[in-house]
Amino acid sequence: MAKINILCVDDQPEVLETITRDLQPLENFFQIETADSVQDAKALLQELDGKSIKVGLVISDHVMPGEETGVDLLRFVDNDIRFAKTRKILLTGQAGHTDTIRAINEAHIDNYFDKPWDAAELLKAAKKLLSKYVLDSGLDYEDYMKVLDLDELLKSLKKG
Amino acid sequence: MTKAKFIKLIIASILAIAALFVPYEALGVDGANTLNPIEIRVIAIFVMAALFWILQPFPIWSTSVLVIVLMILTVSDSSLAMFKVEGVKAVSHKDIMGTFANPIIMLFLGGFFLAAAATKYRLDLNLARVLLKPFGKNPKLVLLGLMMITAVFSMFMSNTATAAMMLAILAPVLKLFDPDDRGKAAFALAIPLGANIGGMGTPIGTPPNAIALGALNEAGFQVSFGQWMMFGVPYVIILMAIAWVLLMKIYPIKMKEMILKIEGADKFDTSPRAIIVYVVFALCVVLWVTGKNVHGINDNAIAMIPMAVFALTGIITKKDLNEMSWDVLWLVAGGFALGVGLQKTGLAAHLIGSIPFDQWSPMVLMVGCGLICLLMANFMSHTSTASLLVPILAAVGVACADTLAPIGGVTALLVAVAFASSLGMSLPISTPPNAMAHATGYTDTAGMAKTGIIMGVVGLIIAYVMMFFLAKINFFGDETIKKPETVAAKPAVEQVVSEAPKPVPQDTVVPAPANVELPAANAEVPAPAAK
Repeated sequence: MAKINILCVDDQPEVLETITRDLQPLENFFQIETADSVQDAKALLQELDGKSIKVGLVISDHVMPGEETGVDLLRFVDNDIRFAKTRKILLTGQAGHTDTIRAINEAHIDNYFDKPWDAAELLKAAKKLLSKYVLDSGLDYEDYMKVLDLDELLKSLKKG
Repeated sequence: MTKAKFIKLIIASILAIAALFVPYEALGVDGANTLNPIEIRVIAIFVMAALFWILQPFPIWSTSVLVIVLMILTVSDSSLAMFKVEGVKAVSHKDIMGTFANPIIMLFLGGFFLAAAATKYRLDLNLARVLLKPFGKNPKLVLLGLMMITAVFSMFMSNTATAAMMLAILAPVLKLFDPDDRGKAAFALAIPLGANIGGMGTPIGTPPNAIALGALNEAGFQVSFGQWMMFGVPYVIILMAIAWVLLMKIYPIKMKEMILKIEGADKFDTSPRAIIVYVVFALCVVLWVTGKNVHGINDNAIAMIPMAVFALTGIITKKDLNEMSWDVLWLVAGGFALGVGLQKTGLAAHLIGSIPFDQWSPMVLMVGCGLICLLMANFMSHTSTASLLVPILAAVGVACADTLAPIGGVTALLVAVAFASSLGMSLPISTPPNAMAHATGYTDTAGMAKTGIIMGVVGLIIAYVMMFFLAKINFFGDETIKKPETVAAKPAVEQVVSEAPKPVPQDTVVPAPANVELPAANAEVPAPAAK
């Protein structure tokens, strides 16, 4: 079973550290990668895809140095066929009204977290979204049984 | 592929290859005659399939596909040139490929159509709501209701889908239990018990039934859908009642009142398509229960009616079709392919000629097989357990048909093996429904083991008692009638048999019916084109 990646993007190293710590319970099944800018994140996505490494979830901040914002990154992920099943979380304290609307309408984000966030809530959301990713991608769910979200699993198995 | 899986693959492959070089003569397996190379290859494929299914370096359905392809490439008349053996009749590659279109596979596919349509139009959820109502609010009765409904659904839907549906209904209620009320474990365990046991009720309930039925048909013994239900349904009901009492004993329920709300099912869908689904479902069940003697359509053909109706009415769309559990069909086909390999190479006849199974105590044979099967099924997939054991036991059973007859004959042997395969449910890894119940976090491994072992053993005992009783009243008719006429139909294998030290005339029964059918099937092919 190849580990599925979670990509966390934020320009503040301490935020990345916190997210990584929050998601630690998933460590046995998912690999957490970090990037400190949109440019860096895009390069990392290309690199992972080039090695056929799956990216199941992108968690991104909104305002970061550089030309593009977090919403731009998530929109890129949403439009790129290679990441069609990848789930997206916007985690930010600085997104304005317009940015939030763009995030929903253009980047089709799955979840929105306001900074500061609740660690347990973030973990729960990540688990649910990664479960959707595993089940949607047709991966062998039995390999991930220990971390899968039960509701998502039952919903998916009900069909077959 | 992970390191662990890679190591498993290497070990299994080495052992399978080693099976090619075992000095079978020295082991006395075949006395004076040596096994021909093709037969030895079939043994190696068997060993490979067994190890791959147990160790699972690949998903189990992939192993099935591998079995079919390997057999075509190494033992068929279409094998690689280097594998062709002078003077030995190879297996027809059409027979091996044909396992995927075996009538039993069609029966199963028809079942998938029915189940998919029922789920799509929420017949399942609405039925669950209506059927649960009479059980009221008393948690003990609700438990019984849940188990019975799970069992009934599992007779027509896959065990996994049924368990997922019922656990989803149950999950919100389980959260309402007092933390110290152990009763919630009874509810969480009731679902996998109901799903696993209910599957035994009909031929389409679970793949082991299909595998046993396929082998029985191949050997010339017919068990109809209606006949299967006639013993299967009461059997399921008895086991469910026992399981219910057992669960309440182990996990006393303290909760006083319990209300199950089924979301997304307020009333039956009354759209024209939904009504077509209800009618076709009912029609199929009626046709299956009444049987061929009344209306002339055989059970497997009945299963094709919903395919046409649902396809034409758009009830099952292309997407629905693509999403069906084709892996299960491949898995079953792989089991059938092993049977074909065993029979058509003459290996079955050869081995039975060398090992005097007919001198064994029939009781020991019958019960021993069941116990081995039950043990295996606890640790590996039910379908792969049946896929491995049924072809071998079908051959053995036919060889000992005479001694087995008083305790139920070949039919009893194979039905019991199918049941034993379904009764392996003492561990979270035993079945997907168990795994799901375990994932809810409301069950404990010890409780699952306790109920699983008790139900497994009790279930096996009841199955044998029932089969013995059915044999006494001659439920399946006289099994031995078919033997003499089929022996003459297959000279190719007879030759092998006559060279064997202990010729057993009955063992030629098995390949004959398929052989007879083959030209007929071919003759029918041009017919539709001519229309």
